[in-house]
Amino acid sequence: MKEVLRFENVSMRYHTKQGETVAVQDLNFSIREGEFTAIIGPSGCGKTTLLSLAAGLLAPSNGRILSSGVSFGYMLQRDELFPWRTIEKNLYLPLEIKGTNTPKNRERALALAEKYGLKQFLKSYPSALSGGMRQRAALIRTLALNPDVLLLDEPFSALDYQTRLNVCNDVYKIIREENKTALLITHDISEAISVADKIFVLSKRPAKILSEHVVSFPEDEPLKRRENKEFSKWFEILWEELNS
Amino acid sequence: MKYPMTRLGEYTQEHLDYLKRQKKKNATITVARVAILLVLLLIWELAARFEWVNPFITSSPSRIIKTIGGLYADGTLFYHVGTTLSETLIGFFIAVAVGYSVALLLWWSEIFRKVSEPYLVVLNALPKIALGPLIIIWCGTGSEAIIFMTVLIGLIVAILNMLGGFMSTDENKLLLLKSMGASKWQILTKLVLPSALPEFISMLKINVGMAWIGSIMGEYIVSKAGIGYLIVYGGQVFKLDLVMSAVLILCVLAAAMYALVSLLEKLVVKNTQ
Repeated sequence: MKEVLRFENVSMRYHTKQGETVAVQDLNFSIREGEFTAIIGPSGCGKTTLLSLAAGLLAPSNGRILSSGVSFGYMLQRDELFPWRTIEKNLYLPLEIKGTNTPKNRERALALAEKYGLKQFLKSYPSALSGGMRQRAALIRTLALNPDVLLLDEPFSALDYQTRLNVCNDVYKIIREENKTALLITHDISEAISVADKIFVLSKRPAKILSEHVVSFPEDEPLKRRENKEFSKWFEILWEELNS
Repeated sequence: MKYPMTRLGEYTQEHLDYLKRQKKKNATITVARVAILLVLLLIWELAARFEWVNPFITSSPSRIIKTIGGLYADGTLFYHVGTTLSETLIGFFIAVAVGYSVALLLWWSEIFRKVSEPYLVVLNALPKIALGPLIIIWCGTGSEAIIFMTVLIGLIVAILNMLGGFMSTDENKLLLLKSMGASKWQILTKLVLPSALPEFISMLKINVGMAWIGSIMGEYIVSKAGIGYLIVYGGQVFKLDLVMSAVLILCVLAAAMYALVSLLEKLVVKNTQ
């Protein structure tokens, strides 16, 4: 499988009046096409910086970020659906921004919405939807541009535990079904184990890669993975590393 | 998700009782409001009629009605109301439009925003009435001077309120749009303007009050007609019936304008939370 994104000795420093903060230092890793990669790290270790770098929203202070001409879709902690737009109009938002709001693309977005159970909500405003449904709508909005790589910034952390497990399962299935490459950043170890093919562990700030694990389970579904005996073993390993 | 509501006609007795209580409560509030007004007017009228107070100083509801009737009869009622109303509305719309535009400019350019900050703070704190003599000299003694005063009083408030609305745009929604590659113009039109709609409405409400302050204050300083003119004139010649009548007309007009803005709010701000 070919590489779609590679970080080479990437460092990032922030400048404020109070001084300079090194958010990430000498990061080296790469992501392959079709893979579900998870990066875990302690809170405040520069995870969001890393995603912003990957998406090209920030330029690194040092090093290079190579991507093989792929497009990115960003999914945030909260759904960030615009409350003054209906779900349908929210799905068209990225198309409007990119100037590709054509009937064909709109149809594609609608087909996705229908496929993943949002059809009945298309004319509703976000306030009428549950947290889980809203996050699903946010995913469809991200998919509307048909991005090659999905960047997920703790997309379930704002949901309650029950919803969170279900939505995680949902989102995982949709991403697999649409054959997307995904990079998930989270501080939730079990979430990472339940979805990832590969896990990178980050250190405290300045973030460095501590280790890399290839995770494989016979089950191809987050909720089922959680029932597997291996799951808790993985949890222990990663817990140790994060807290060392 | 919202809980499924039972259909009308399938309500439990408990819910029907609840609805009834709510209805009763609302009715009580409305009745109390009207009753207080009527009782006050009655006491005022009786106190003046039986000369418990001096009606020459306090006027009375019946004298006010007579005065307004008199103004209507000699054809000056609508002339004065029209004068003040047009000054207020013109001043209001100029202040709102210019204030909105300036706030947009300040949102767009951080440098512009930072540079103008101390000026805005000082202008906001300055009592605009202090500029009265200058306004008369610059704008003359016609309606222009009063409109200018109205604009001055509303403008800075409009700028500061709108800028606050634009600047409080949700950071994460900004990040979302940037991740889609949105231009600054797109961020403005797709996110900042719609999300500042509630602030726009509240700015309109504040400016309704400001515009009336401006026009009446303007007429206090310099005027040949208008409701403020009637008040000043009435005070000078000790015709307190005229002063009271003018204040009453003012109350009605200000309430009507506020009600219009509230109606606009109901129409446009439905789904934004």
